[in-house]
Amino acid sequence: MSLAELMQKTSKYYWWLQIGGWGILALILVFANILFGRKVDMQFLIPLCLQVPVGIFTTHLFRLFIHRAGWLMLPVEKALPRLALGILIVCLLDTILRITVINWIDPTNTSKRLEFSTRFLLVTVENALYIIPWTLIYYFFHYIDKSRKQQLDTLKLEALVKELELKTIKSHINPHFIFNALNSIRALIDENPLRARTAITELSNILRSSMQTEKQETVFFEKELSIVKDYLALEHIRFEDRLNVQYEIAENTLTQQIPPMMLQTLVENAIKHGISKQVSGGTVTIVSRMKEHYHQLVIRNTGRLNNLGNEDGFGLTSTRNRLHLLFGEEANFNIREINGNMVEAELQIPFT
Amino acid sequence: MIRAVIIDDERLARNELKKLLQEFPEIEIVAEAANANEGIEKIDSLNPDLIFLDIQMPGKTGFDMLAELDKAPDVIFTTAYDDYALKAFEVNALDYLLKPVEPRRLADALHKLHLEESRDRESASEDEISVNKSLLHETDQVFVKDGERCWFVKLGEIRLFESVGNYAKIYFQSNKPLILKSLNALEERLDEKVFFRANRKHIVNLRLIEKIEPYFNGGLLLELKGGEKIEVSRRQTVKFKEMMSL
Repeated sequence: MSLAELMQKTSKYYWWLQIGGWGILALILVFANILFGRKVDMQFLIPLCLQVPVGIFTTHLFRLFIHRAGWLMLPVEKALPRLALGILIVCLLDTILRITVINWIDPTNTSKRLEFSTRFLLVTVENALYIIPWTLIYYFFHYIDKSRKQQLDTLKLEALVKELELKTIKSHINPHFIFNALNSIRALIDENPLRARTAITELSNILRSSMQTEKQETVFFEKELSIVKDYLALEHIRFEDRLNVQYEIAENTLTQQIPPMMLQTLVENAIKHGISKQVSGGTVTIVSRMKEHYHQLVIRNTGRLNNLGNEDGFGLTSTRNRLHLLFGEEANFNIREINGNMVEAELQIPFT
Repeated sequence: MIRAVIIDDERLARNELKKLLQEFPEIEIVAEAANANEGIEKIDSLNPDLIFLDIQMPGKTGFDMLAELDKAPDVIFTTAYDDYALKAFEVNALDYLLKPVEPRRLADALHKLHLEESRDRESASEDEISVNKSLLHETDQVFVKDGERCWFVKLGEIRLFESVGNYAKIYFQSNKPLILKSLNALEERLDEKVFFRANRKHIVNLRLIEKIEPYFNGGLLLELKGGEKIEVSRRQTVKFKEMMSL
């Protein structure tokens, strides 16, 4: 929202508050006077009636200046000293205006009897009693308004980012994988037609599940595992004896719920950053078991962790974020190197 | 007959390409390699005219492999997905095939290659081609990789080789990437009729000299087509004059 729009929108309230505020102040002063038994005569009313328009005029000038100078956009510690100086100047301006006008319209005013400097000081102090609260109210009204809007914007942005992230992670299937798989299958059609047929089924399963997962938050581990098995079977066609796969799956973990495509993404990483970089290949081990209070998934692969590049960093952070979004503090994810030639990723997911 | 080597880490991918190439009797597959090191070995021993090269391979990428060769044969890249290849070759786009390879695209790529080949033959007079295989000719190309950028450069386009420690900086067009080769090693391989060692730090391309001026101590100052000014040492000046008078 631009400044002009902001001013237009608030100006409606602003004028009511200005007139209302100064009006109520005048009324309070009148009642206070009556209450304390003082005379309510012209000597009292003329300066009072003058004070309201002069106050509105000077504070309005002050407001215009605050907007023009952009003080509302400044951080608090920078805005406050500026406002203090502003208050002083407005008070003095107010005093000069009041004294000049009073002298002009009511030469008989009793306060003329005072020493000029004393009179000037008294009026200024009185003005400060109005101007300081005015400024504080004005500034903090805007301050609260602004920070509330900022918070709202940040929240909106975060929600959007999360949504986008989740979408990309879920629907993410490496195009490299798809085309390499298709290429292998084409070669297999002559060499081993039967294997080519099952390979096409495996690829269809993976593509189908990657399209479906956008609708679900979690799936049975069994379902996710079958996709991972299809995926690894296809990669085995490609890497042949360079890829060795081991499963250690506890029967009772099959009915646990896990986020879809999360295990798949980690296994894909194990191939992409681990096996495919090894000239003589390596092993991928997938372990699923029940621990005391969580479901533990381990993906172990031959390779090193030292080349954690940006894209990898994104994959890992988003896995962590996704777990956090779904399970809060109860889930955990970490990845580390063991024995200098293996990388182990571990997921801890609460029981369901 | 074009002698070709297929370099790809996947056996099935190599088989598939071989099968597609059966349609092209002018291509003879002389060897296959499953990684960059094997590839270098085969290229060095067989000196093929053409290689089909997978970009992503374990150990070294196809680009890394090319950068290690003294002289690059013609290359057709094969890759499963095009982000990598396109990024590296924005300058002088080379041919690449996306796997699974479309037979028509393969035919186009080979056709383009034939055209270039015949053009090269015309420009290089046959009798000049050295019998000595290890000598690099003007029409030979080198593959240069400097960080993320890659080029295929014809030796004849290089104006100047400058020694920078163990590296050599090569000047062509407006680029000056570094290659991991010493100036002495280069001098041995370069055709001395074209590439002249002007001084301890520089080898210049004689065909790309713009101006020759006398310099201190009976030396010479050469100005190259790119504006670089290179001093010829006194000892080399004698040799230079001899060559030029021939």
